[in-house]
Amino acid sequence: MMDIVTTGLMTHLESRQIGSRFSRGEGGEYYLRVPGDGIIEAAGWLANREDLALIGIWAVPGHEKDCLELYYAFELKQPSPALVMIAEVKNNQAPSIYKIFPAAINFERRARDWYGLDFTSLPDTRRLLLHEAYPADFHPMVDSDPETLSSNLATTEYSFKKFEGEGLYQVPVGPVHAGIIEPGHFRFSVIGETIFNLELRLGYKHRGLNKLAEGKTVAEVNKLSESISGDESAVNACSFSLAVEKIAGAELPKRAWELRTILLEMERLYSHLGDLAGMLVDVGYPIGASPFFILREEIMRWNATFTGSRFLKGAIIPGGLSRDIEDGMLQKFKFFLVTFSRRMRKALSDVDESAWVIDRFETTGIVSPELVAPLSLSGPVARASGYDGDTRQLHTYGVYTGLKYTIPVKTSGDVLARFRVKAEEAASSIDIISETIARCSPGPVFSGFDPGSGQAIAMLEAPRGRNIHWLRVKNGTVEHWEVITASFCNWPAIEHAVINNILPDFPVINKSFNLSYAGNDL
Amino acid sequence: MHKIIRNIFSRKLSSVKDPTTEDFEITGLQLKEHVCRVFGRSLAIRELDSGSDNSAEIELNNLSTPHYDIERFGVSFVASPRHADVLLITGAVTRNMQEAVMKTYAAMPRPCWVIAVGDDACGEGLLNGSYGVLGGADKVLPVDFKIPGNPPTPLEIMQGLASFMESIRQPKA
Repeated sequence: MMDIVTTGLMTHLESRQIGSRFSRGEGGEYYLRVPGDGIIEAAGWLANREDLALIGIWAVPGHEKDCLELYYAFELKQPSPALVMIAEVKNNQAPSIYKIFPAAINFERRARDWYGLDFTSLPDTRRLLLHEAYPADFHPMVDSDPETLSSNLATTEYSFKKFEGEGLYQVPVGPVHAGIIEPGHFRFSVIGETIFNLELRLGYKHRGLNKLAEGKTVAEVNKLSESISGDESAVNACSFSLAVEKIAGAELPKRAWELRTILLEMERLYSHLGDLAGMLVDVGYPIGASPFFILREEIMRWNATFTGSRFLKGAIIPGGLSRDIEDGMLQKFKFFLVTFSRRMRKALSDVDESAWVIDRFETTGIVSPELVAPLSLSGPVARASGYDGDTRQLHTYGVYTGLKYTIPVKTSGDVLARFRVKAEEAASSIDIISETIARCSPGPVFSGFDPGSGQAIAMLEAPRGRNIHWLRVKNGTVEHWEVITASFCNWPAIEHAVINNILPDFPVINKSFNLSYAGNDL
Repeated sequence: MHKIIRNIFSRKLSSVKDPTTEDFEITGLQLKEHVCRVFGRSLAIRELDSGSDNSAEIELNNLSTPHYDIERFGVSFVASPRHADVLLITGAVTRNMQEAVMKTYAAMPRPCWVIAVGDDACGEGLLNGSYGVLGGADKVLPVDFKIPGNPPTPLEIMQGLASFMESIRQPKA
């Protein structure tokens, strides 16, 4: 029943006289309850395994009153589901595991903001999502009385890392950028034209979605999940719905999953096409970008034809889909995709023949493969740096099991690698859509169910990478909802990618990642 | 070299014209008429994201792509609020963005107008009641016009802009 890692971990903890309790969640994930101080020992043992990544840390109110529990989620690079360790928090204090898993820093800072938890030895105790507009002692998940918000605001200014030296100067950019872009602050330290250091400050779009979800019905929160990040509406709605369905033990009709797969891949397709176009615009090649803009617009119009929304909003609901898509329409789309994919190949080969574009892309903004594991990178960003994991294959869901498709992996980690990965993923999305339409089964697209109570984790591959929803439901009402988008883990990679690049190359590097600000800030 | 020659003599791919584009052309020409009369041929818009999910930004970006190309109707998106006639605000105003929103508005030359785009900016979104947001754009700025939608399509944004122009025939005092 248990996999080798969990068994190994339990044996190890036993040998150190640390008791642990195993249980299985509704989503098939493993829960391992350890004492608060046992987490360091457990994390230390897990760190020796190369096929394992920390994918999230979050706090949840315990079953008893005034008691918090920390959840540490790990992904294994094998078909077994996630391993979640639960450690009880005592006196609002917990040990930081950043020395073992560096990706923990931002997760712990987030939990610190939300719950006022004190992580001992956490190297960065600045607030992550709550800025100066919030009082220093305000922690929304414990005390969210908006009345207290206008009084005793934080008076200390956010302190950026200091860099000094001859010829070194700083360029602060944002939160409002010169373009139609989301808000975020970038602090560049530059020598001449070369970037010496970049520090990000995000959180400007923090809307308090998690707190807002508490006490709402699953249908309401499903709508909320679509606004986590507008261009990832379908995958977030699907992740949330999947968690709800796991808790309820609902069996979906096959057609529901087939249509979901089509919608999820359409989302990936239009996202990637937009990124390809954006990268070309940012190296000053609008002629090359135009075909991709045109192709993307066409997919967005098909989105509207299928679901009534150009962003696939309102289509995926717990239990299946809100409406069926006519078979005739699907066949038409499949036919359309034949010429579509030919036009996409043509546009790509035009880019390949433009030496100056390749020259700008190559060796720009390198994310070295050694960063993938410590930062828990995922998605195209990780796959352009040699990581060959994809949630669709590792922890398969829906009808992906029976489909044949390739997942591209590149090793150079530069803008060109990300461009190629996204282009090839777009092509493989077209294959998946065509194949799914060809084998689409008849039948209903929705099955009713009783939401019930329980907790479950759902993990899906969003266009930007690993998308995680963890949910605790009581009689159909959401008690706790935790979202970890791929953007949250991938953002810090940009700080590494830009070093030693010239400042004018930052836009194209940023676009090659195209991470979501909204999805990071929640 | 041979590629350039081949390109000159090859058959050009032309895309099929669909009905939504035709609506867009009509609205665009109406908009252009207004822009010429009210703003002397050019309307400069500064977009400001105050906490949206990013879908409204994507649609606004789409207005400049080949299918729409809003610039031919005299509307341009500018980089600085100092160059703008209109502040186009998307998303509910988050607590963290409040200061930046007000500073951006203050940096605009007068007279200026504020248009809220999308349900959240119009104050009708799902986020009302959250500690993180103050509410719609009108909680912070004097909003002159609202274009609702989740998000509004490029055509709806164009139609909204055209009706906005109609509503301000008399220049603001």
